[in-house]
Amino acid sequence: MTPKPTYQVGRRAFLARVMAALAAVALPAWPSRTRAADGGAEHVIDIRDLTFRPATLDVRAGDTITWVNHDIAPHTATAADKSWDTGLLKRGEQGSITVKPGMTTQYFCRFHPAMKAVVRVVG
Amino acid sequence: MKLKSTILALGLMVALPACATADTMKAADLNDLEIAHVAYVADNIDIRYAHLALAISENEAVRDFARTMIRDHTAVNEQALALLKKLNAQPQDNFLSQDLQKNAAKLIDEMSSLRGAAFDKRYAANELAYHQAVNGLVENAFIPNIENAEVKDLFEAGLQIFKAHESHAEQMVSSLK
Repeated sequence: MTPKPTYQVGRRAFLARVMAALAAVALPAWPSRTRAADGGAEHVIDIRDLTFRPATLDVRAGDTITWVNHDIAPHTATAADKSWDTGLLKRGEQGSITVKPGMTTQYFCRFHPAMKAVVRVVG
Repeated sequence: MKLKSTILALGLMVALPACATADTMKAADLNDLEIAHVAYVADNIDIRYAHLALAISENEAVRDFARTMIRDHTAVNEQALALLKKLNAQPQDNFLSQDLQKNAAKLIDEMSSLRGAAFDKRYAANELAYHQAVNGLVENAFIPNIENAEVKDLFEAGLQIFKAHESHAEQMVSSLK
């Protein structure tokens, strides 16, 4: 299970990865899992059956979002304008970003364009 | 179930002309290891079509699709091989695998002579027809007849991916008109 390059990986991102790794093994993992932490929450979005779960997630600037791929097919989570990207995630891998104010919130999988979802930056 | 399989086989006779033999009617009678062989062969055929597309096409949407076919079908085949290893089983060659390979060889010969938009349209149309035919086979003839639960799970997961490919191919066909 190889961690992917991330945006601004810090302690929160590391914790989110650990949480995601544990969840990938132990939990059916739907809907999303969110945990509060100092300075920002950690969110996990599962990629399962060629869908992002949940398809809509409310986040705040400073939060960390981690995508975990449970599918056989590799996927990405990529901003609609490609301003951020998890990179290729094979089965069991995860990638994270830190939410920035004003960032693009619509995203998709570069390999399967029908896979679309949104993170809404609130507050 | 057998009626469905017969109807499906008739569909395959249209979509995969080289399979148009009386033997095609027996697709639903294959055992798990023969079914695994057909699936592995079908995956590899689509990977070969994709490599041909990458060698010939200059259309970025077509090339992206081809790269996805290689990536996804390779991933599915890796899972299939891992499962067969775990089950200490070997896939078994059979009439349907052989028919698929013969038909693919003819199609590759035909597509190899095409260039530009003519190739892109032929490749896209074939990807749509191929996924429609194989998905029908997997869904209606194979999955209902697979006995091993882990093999069945793998086929169900694979079918979801291949249905996404079918939709993607449909969009590609429309965009190339």
